Amino acid sequence: MRSTITTTVAAVAFAVAAVLGTSPVQAEKKISFLAWNIPHFKAGAEKWMKQFKAKYPDVTIEWLDKKGSEWSTYYQTQVVAGTAPDIVDVQGGLWLEYASKGGLLDLTPYLKADQASYTSELYPEFLSSWVYEGKNYGVPFYISKTLLFYNQAMFKKAGLSGPPKTFDDLLAYAGKLSGGEKSGFMTLNFDWLYWSLMAMNGVEMFTPDLKKAAFNTPAAVAAVEKLAAATKSGAINKISWTGRWVKPNNAFAAGTIGMLQAHSPAFMWMKAKGPWMNKDTVGVAQMPGNWSTPNSHALLISKSTKYPKIAWEFAKMATSGGGAYDLGSSLNVLTGSKVANKKLMAYFEKNIPDAVSVMKTQTEHLDKLVGNWPVAKDAAVKEAFYPELQNALLGRKSAKEALDAAEKKVNRVLSRR
Amino acid sequence: MNTLIKKKRTRELILIWFFLAPSLAIFALYRIIPLIWNGVLSFQFWDPFKPTEFAGLYHYEEMLIYDDVFWQSLWNTSVLMASAPIGIGLALIIALMVDTRIRGRGVYRTIVFLSYPVMTVAVGIIWQWLFNEKVGLINYVLMSLGIIDEGIPFLESFSLAFPSVIVASIWQVLGFYMIILLTGLQNIPQSLYEAAAIDGAGAWKRFIRITFPMLKPSIFLCFVVGIINSFTNFDLVYVMTQGGPSHVTELLITYIYRAAFTLSKFDYAAAMTVVNFLFFVTLAWLANRLFGGDAGAVDEGT
Amino acid sequence: MHRYPHWPLHLALSAVCAAMLVPFYWVLKTSLTGENIFTFPPSILPEDPHLFFFVDVWYTIPFASYLANSLIVSIIVVAANVFLNAMAGYALTRDFVGKKAVIMLFLSCMMIPFQATIIPAYLITKELGLLNSYMGMALPLCSTIVCIFVFKASFDAIPKSLIDAARIDGVPDWMIIYRIMVPLSQSAIATNVILAFIWSWNNFLWPLVIIRDEAMQTLPLGLSRFLSVYENTTGALYAFCIMVLVPGLVIFLLSQKQFIAGLTSGAAKG
Repeated sequence: MRSTITTTVAAVAFAVAAVLGTSPVQAEKKISFLAWNIPHFKAGAEKWMKQFKAKYPDVTIEWLDKKGSEWSTYYQTQVVAGTAPDIVDVQGGLWLEYASKGGLLDLTPYLKADQASYTSELYPEFLSSWVYEGKNYGVPFYISKTLLFYNQAMFKKAGLSGPPKTFDDLLAYAGKLSGGEKSGFMTLNFDWLYWSLMAMNGVEMFTPDLKKAAFNTPAAVAAVEKLAAATKSGAINKISWTGRWVKPNNAFAAGTIGMLQAHSPAFMWMKAKGPWMNKDTVGVAQMPGNWSTPNSHALLISKSTKYPKIAWEFAKMATSGGGAYDLGSSLNVLTGSKVANKKLMAYFEKNIPDAVSVMKTQTEHLDKLVGNWPVAKDAAVKEAFYPELQNALLGRKSAKEALDAAEKKVNRVLSRR
Repeated sequence: MNTLIKKKRTRELILIWFFLAPSLAIFALYRIIPLIWNGVLSFQFWDPFKPTEFAGLYHYEEMLIYDDVFWQSLWNTSVLMASAPIGIGLALIIALMVDTRIRGRGVYRTIVFLSYPVMTVAVGIIWQWLFNEKVGLINYVLMSLGIIDEGIPFLESFSLAFPSVIVASIWQVLGFYMIILLTGLQNIPQSLYEAAAIDGAGAWKRFIRITFPMLKPSIFLCFVVGIINSFTNFDLVYVMTQGGPSHVTELLITYIYRAAFTLSKFDYAAAMTVVNFLFFVTLAWLANRLFGGDAGAVDEGT
Repeated sequence: MHRYPHWPLHLALSAVCAAMLVPFYWVLKTSLTGENIFTFPPSILPEDPHLFFFVDVWYTIPFASYLANSLIVSIIVVAANVFLNAMAGYALTRDFVGKKAVIMLFLSCMMIPFQATIIPAYLITKELGLLNSYMGMALPLCSTIVCIFVFKASFDAIPKSLIDAARIDGVPDWMIIYRIMVPLSQSAIATNVILAFIWSWNNFLWPLVIIRDEAMQTLPLGLSRFLSVYENTTGALYAFCIMVLVPGLVIFLLSQKQFIAGLTSGAAKG
């Protein structure tokens, strides 16, 4: 018995020692890059890493990629463990939380220093989406914003000649286009992508100081009532308010939706599923009033990075000139660089002519961008607001009740810690 | 003589604790310590970038008094748990049917079990489609049979979304319950049945007097698993409805996860984890008492 | 044995199986055709089935590497589970001071959902130096309470008389376990193997959090490749799910014998 115990203890100790081991000391500098769901860009990423290695031979780039739904879990676990990735590719409002808590590097001085060689190349409107309390934390990685897609065949059948120009037209057309398994209108709803519907009715989310809710107005109540009625009648497909990505896009690709509000990546995704889709069968337009919600990605740098200057150099390479062009031509998106976009439009005209009109909308009307408020508690506000909106749109509560409840909740979120 | 017995007893005790040690170690590392971490965190204002501050009962107050989503998700979790007997009952019937001498029982067993190893993502996507209002199979069949005129928006309806998720959940876990019950059925010696048959007991009496009591540990296990499933059914809900619409399918665990990783409120999520734990431990304790206190073990000498 | 008609059983079981198979059939069908499942009306038979998606999955992701990693981790988990759970299950069949407390402790541990433990589990794994390793992926799963109780129930069901007789004969405890109890618990072992394998094989969130190297990734992590926002991957997604499903199914089929063996051995010993 005793010998068994001794051998066991010895074995365990040996195993533990072997497992713990000693890691080799790294003489190289390591920068990690956490991408957001672009696994098929691997080849492009390797090109970037080679280019960068040529310039900075003692730097290795570690390329990580996580899907959106796990991205924040992975990132925050790394932050808590003290090993936050140096450069992160974010979508939506997640970054606001980290910026407000001081977890991100303020890029304003870097942007100023490189004004002529780099910053001037970017769209100021997209760059300013990443400003929080006067400090700029991110540079645009790739851009997109919502637009209106419409099924030309369904339009013709319903006797409609062109896209709707007003909110009421939109609802009227939706009514005409629906019937049977077909719906007139659908929208994506994550990251505030539906907000143009509210903006075109003059609804503001917050007061100018971003401290209180400002959306509970008679105009908003009226708009929500109309949307709820259209949803009830089936003119607006209910998945608009409950789906995320696959359901709504799949439905349009299946040819059963008259109009879809989505952003440019949606078009590329749908085209693969619905081979009938091309520039003649799918109409492209701005939403009434030219309102749109951007859903761009940006590169941000963690404050805990050991090599901020090197990270900055890499970020610049990825978001301008040839680097940005590599990204855009691989993912079929436009970037935040005016220079790269010019080349990309030529690329699209040559290789994906069906997408050209879609891409054109992405850089138009940049003065009518809504839905990206620099509020630290963006996620909590969404959590407080959207379920109540769902209640109204899906007929569980009246519009007034729902907006009242939403206002109370949002104000509470904004005032509590 | 006494010292000999004592020595044997000590040896036996050492063996028992030696056997328990590795499992206990793993649970200590990966369950108990994290629970304590959550417990401590729940009384703090925690921030990965700033020093922590003491928060007292702030989070508990927020959760229990002001957060109706918490109560909604607690209610949903309880409902899901209460639906476990349905799944267990179905699985029991299937297990009994499959445990007989009919031909092809292996095939039946395999088919029923098939749903369990499928990745939850696929399960979620397929059930989403099955329940789809306009193009889903269920509505298609119902409309073809003339039972309804218009598609039912299962997952978009405030009243039907949760039952739909429960149906998908039962489908997924049925094979699992069945396996546990089958194992339990194997433990019942044939001799008992033969003796009862000789005594002239009918099938129903055999079930009530022999099968059911001897299945107690397995049924207890299924109940506990049902309880656990109700709050770990994270993946399925996440994929099918993300807790919507408007929180009607929100489980406490999906809310905890979202609070932690989407809203970045780790301290608040920790407080909810503590409450979740206390609630379910109480239930498990009650279940254990109900089943006789020894994890449902059968009395000796039956 | 009583003779009763089998056909009602067949009928009932067939109905149940049909219901259980419908969703699965659609996964299979879509993996062969890659169609948009949102087309209306839904087609019952696959149009233009082909195996291209399965090939696609093999080449798009380093499937072989992921498969190997998943296998290694799962083997560690299954082996550890069978030993640790049987040991703990046996311990729980004996009477000792603190037994009730230990049972309650185990039950309580079941009430701690994994999602609430991600961060502390990561930090602990880091302290142990097990980040980015097979052991790190396997460790949290190496013992599961459900299976401990399955073993306990199985050991409890072994007739006391058998064990007492062996004891009187002076057979040491470990031999009783090894020679008598384990062989009579075949179905419990089979259950343990099946469940431990499936839980380890499908484990997604834990490897995602602790693995950084591409070379160490397991199969479920390859899933995100097919949930891309930028490409059409439905057919590949479902083909991937089918391919991931196969090993679990194989293990289940291989363990079927144990269920039958358990049935007959119980009769013999009873």
